[in-house]
This record gives sequence, C-alpha cells and structure tokens, in this order.
Amino acid sequence: MLRTVKAKNARAKRFLKNREAKVHENPKNTLVVRGSTTSQVVSDALKDLYALKRPNAVYFSKKNEIKPFEDEEKLEFFSRKNDTAHLVVGTHSKKRPHNLTFVRMYNHTVLDMYEFGIENPKSMNSIPGPKCSLGLKPLMVFNGDRFESDEKCKSIKNFFLDFFNGEETSAINLAGLEHVISLTATPDDRILFRTYSIEMKKSGLKTPRVELAEMGPNYDLKMKRVNVPKLDMWKSAVRVPKEVKPKKAKNIEVDEMGDKYGRIHLGKQEIDKIQTRKMKGLRKRGPDDKEDAEEDTAAKKQKVDEEE
Amino acid sequence: MDVTEILEAHQAQFKPITVEKLVPVDFDINMLVTFDTNALDEKTLKSKTNTDKYLLELTRDNTQLIVNELFKLPVNSADAGVLAVLPHRKSILPREKELPKDKPLTRWEKFAKVKGIQNSKRERMVYDEETGAYKPRWGYQGAKEEGTVAQDWVIPVPDHGDPMEDQYAKVREEKKGRSETNAKRQRRNQEEGTAATLAGKKDIKEFKKHELQTAIAASKQATASLGKFDAKLKHETKMKGITHQFSETIGDVKAEKNSSLDILKKIVGKNDIVNTEKAVRMQSKREYAANFDNKKKWADKKKFENKKGGDRKRDRDDKKKGGKR
Repeated sequence: MLRTVKAKNARAKRFLKNREAKVHENPKNTLVVRGSTTSQVVSDALKDLYALKRPNAVYFSKKNEIKPFEDEEKLEFFSRKNDTAHLVVGTHSKKRPHNLTFVRMYNHTVLDMYEFGIENPKSMNSIPGPKCSLGLKPLMVFNGDRFESDEKCKSIKNFFLDFFNGEETSAINLAGLEHVISLTATPDDRILFRTYSIEMKKSGLKTPRVELAEMGPNYDLKMKRVNVPKLDMWKSAVRVPKEVKPKKAKNIEVDEMGDKYGRIHLGKQEIDKIQTRKMKGLRKRGPDDKEDAEEDTAAKKQKVDEEE
Repeated sequence: MDVTEILEAHQAQFKPITVEKLVPVDFDINMLVTFDTNALDEKTLKSKTNTDKYLLELTRDNTQLIVNELFKLPVNSADAGVLAVLPHRKSILPREKELPKDKPLTRWEKFAKVKGIQNSKRERMVYDEETGAYKPRWGYQGAKEEGTVAQDWVIPVPDHGDPMEDQYAKVREEKKGRSETNAKRQRRNQEEGTAATLAGKKDIKEFKKHELQTAIAASKQATASLGKFDAKLKHETKMKGITHQFSETIGDVKAEKNSSLDILKKIVGKNDIVNTEKAVRMQSKREYAANFDNKKKWADKKKFENKKGGDRKRDRDDKKKGGKR
C-alpha cells in the first residue's frame, strides 16, 4: 500500500490537488511498459504507441515483471503511482507470441483488459514519408458491422475511442487534422489497425478532397483474452456530474409563427380577502348620499344654464 | 448555357468529394470518429496483397465523409486561430476517477450561506499614499508585518497604559493568540467534518437525537452503577429505567452458597504453588514468538528461490520508484 504523501510546500500541494478527482478531468495518461520477456516486434510496437500518445504517456525503459491477467495488484500500484488510467503491457512467450495487453483503469482499479497478438507488424520507421506532429488529435474510423453486433468488439471499440480520442474538447482547428487511425473488425477475430496521414487537396469547393498516405504503425491484432468491464463498475464510471449535464431551458415555448412564449404564474386570487377598506370608490353609498350627489350635479347644470 | 459548361469543366479537373455508401455512415463529431457498418469485402481481406489497398480506399472514403461534416460546422475565430465549434459527445466514455465528494461545510461557511455573505477576493496591489504607487499587500516588495519595527517604527503608548510595557511584545502576543484560536477553529472544523462524513451525514447537527441517546446509553454500561454517578454534560437528562441489578437478599440459598464458595476458591482455595492460568498464557506466548521467527525465515527463503539471482536491492528500487523505469 502506498502511504499518503503530505504536501510540505505549495508546489507539492498543487501537484497533489491536480491528481485528485475533479469535475472536469485531466486527459488520461498512458503507461507503456515491457514485461519480463519481449521480442523486437513487441518493443517496436510499444515505442510506436508511446509516440502516438505523447505527451500524455510514460514509457518505462526497463523491463518489469508484470502479468496483467494474474497480477491486478501490480497494475493498480503502477496506475496509482504514475497517475495513469491506461496501461499497455508488451510480452512475448512461446505460448503467447508478440502479446500486447491494453488495460483501462477506473479509480486506480482495473476496469477492463484486452489482449492481442501482433501479426504483420509495420512500424513507423519502416514506412517512409512524412509523419504527423506531436500531440494532435487523430481522426478515427471503425469499419465493420462486428463493432455494433459483437459484445467484445463493442467494448474494444469503446476502449480504443477512449485510448486515442478520450480528451474532452469543445473546438478544433481544422488545419490540425493530420492523421487518421482506422480499425477494421474482421470475422476471424482480428482487428486490422492502420494509421494514415491526411493530405487535403483542392476540390474546387470549400471542403477539400482527402487523400491518405500510409504513415504510422500497422498491425493485425488477433483478439485473445478479453475482460469486459463489470456492469456495476461501468455504471459508476459513466456517471456524469450535475455540473456537466446540459441544462434544460424550462418555460420557453416557440409557437408556429416563431414567437417565443413563457408563462408567469400569478397564483389563486382570493376575492373575499382583497383590501377594500382603503379605496374610496369602493365605499357603499347610503340613500342620502345619492340625493346629495344628484343635487350637486343638478346645481352644476343650473349654473351652466344660467351662465348661458 | 455557357456558364454551367465552364463550371462543369472546371469541376472536372478535381476529384469528387462525395462518397456513395449503401448503409449511411454514423458519426460522433465531437470525437472525430466515423462508424461504418457496411459489410466488408471478405475476399480481399483474406488475400494478403490486396488488403492494404482495400483498407486505404475504405478509410479514405470514410475520412472524406467526416471531413465533409467537420467543414460544415460553425467557426469561431479566437486568439489561437480559426476553430470549428464541436457539438456535444454522443459516445459514453468512462471517467478516470470517481466523482469528487462534497466536502462538509465549515461553521463559517454555513453561517455565510444562511446570511448570504459572498466572499470577495482582495486585490494583491494596494495604493500606497506616501509614494503614490501601487505596492503588493504582502510578499516581495509589499508592506511588512504590522507591529514589527520594519512596519511601525513607533507604537505610541495608549492613554491609560503602562509606560514601561513593551508595546511590540504586546502586539506579538496578541497576534500569537489570534493565530492559536484560528488553529483551534480549523481543528474543530476538521473534526466535525470527519465525524459527519464517517456517519454518512453532511453535518454534525444531522445526527438524530435518538441515535445520540442510544450511543450515550451504550457508553454508560461501562460503569457498574450504569452511569448513575458519571459527570453529566450541561443539558444531559437523567437516564431512566436503567439500574444496577442486585441479587435478592432472601431467596435462593443454594445459589448464594455456590457463588460465595466460588469466590473463596479463587482467592484462597488454590492448592497449587503454580498459577496454572498464568502459566498457560505465558507458554502460548512463548510458542507463538518462536514460530513467528521460523515462519518469517521460511517465507523469505521462498521469495529468494523464485527471484532470478535474488537481487534484493532491485526489489527495493522497484517499490520506491513505482516500477522499474
């Protein structure tokens, strides 16, 4: 267990506060680590993934003894210490050659794990051509109806969405769309992972013509063991804080003519409790009062006639 | 018409940006992602040579579609440049950490909430009349502490004050007293907060009256007189209905005889020189201590055997730095 670190100065306090739970979260960090035995293929793959995920990624240059499907405690320790929500572990053995395990954490406990075997690798260095700049958001394409129909593929889709494009943004610079990652789910349990760089060509119209050139790492990932997230953990992980929920505008109606209406509620009016004592005009008049009033008016009339 | 022909001729120079799809493609524009559920051409996927080309074309079509959507978005020109405003997310992604828990309000915060007092932040720069410039309120080039020689080069003795008293020491003592009460209040707030959160309530006053009373009643059982003579708090009421149970003076003669004899036996009636109970206790403790060392050694041996070369130093670094970097 980690002992809780107490901040001894303001800088440390700010650092720890940054790592606390927040309403608007930080972009998720990734930890890329090699297992006890690795092959060249796996090491290259890990390096490429680290390059794609920079700067929100940590790469351990030393090998660590870690077996994701057996040793959850070690994964949680790494996640807590390095404040990473994603982990990628690369191993190689005779039984599981060129293995990549992707792990996602919620609250520093394992949410889901996906194990793939790499086939047909092509690293970024082996493909000549321009590469994309650091830290840009990739466009993503998911091909194949298996991503909608199969449960495992659905969670894999969700995972890769979160892994590459999980950061919250409200606006993007259209000039900064430089690369696209495509994942294709084939019927024989393979995910074809391809990365291309985008070239925008003239099209005569405002929207450019898109041309792609092969860029970054290409793998055929063979699906092996998959741990989908447990329902109760998923439910609590997906909860939206009320500050982020979009506010519904109440009491605004727009009719067919386009006029905006709102309603004001006045409440019930109790007629027998209205204040009438202080209003002269509401006073009851007796019979004498009425005659006086008439005389007055008659007198006025006479005067007018006399004047005439 | 000539104009349309010219336009068409001009357009024919460029490649089209429209894409035909059997099943319309789904987007999540905020995440810049296209979901294409059209059936894949499985034959080409199986062949080694054509898959890459097929995938490139397929991806190009889907990317073209989402780029078309992106260029339709409303555009905001900000300092950073021209940005397209993205709509809200459609896909549901899990969070990294839990939702932040509401901290329990302190006494002042509760009071301020009731009264409607807003917290107004003080500016760091204050206008200094002597120099006519703005100086920081505290810190590097700011005003020094009140009551020190650096700030108040003279402190006049008050009207009826003792002329021999050290005014600077007086200010220092007062300040110390104030900071101590502040620390006390902070500690009190923290205690109340933790007590409230532990019990699952947001406020210490939310403890129900009867819960508190049951807790008090349970604590009174610690004394033989069941809390009858315990020092009471200010408004604490007398405990009703709970008394120290005495056995009857006249009644079961046999039971009384047996209990008296048991007491006598425990005190006087022991024939052994050795206190058997104590001996058993001591022996079990000794055995446990001896076994403990053995168990530990055995566990360590296993660990050594498993590790390659048994480098203990590496293990320590491993734990300290959060994994071998």
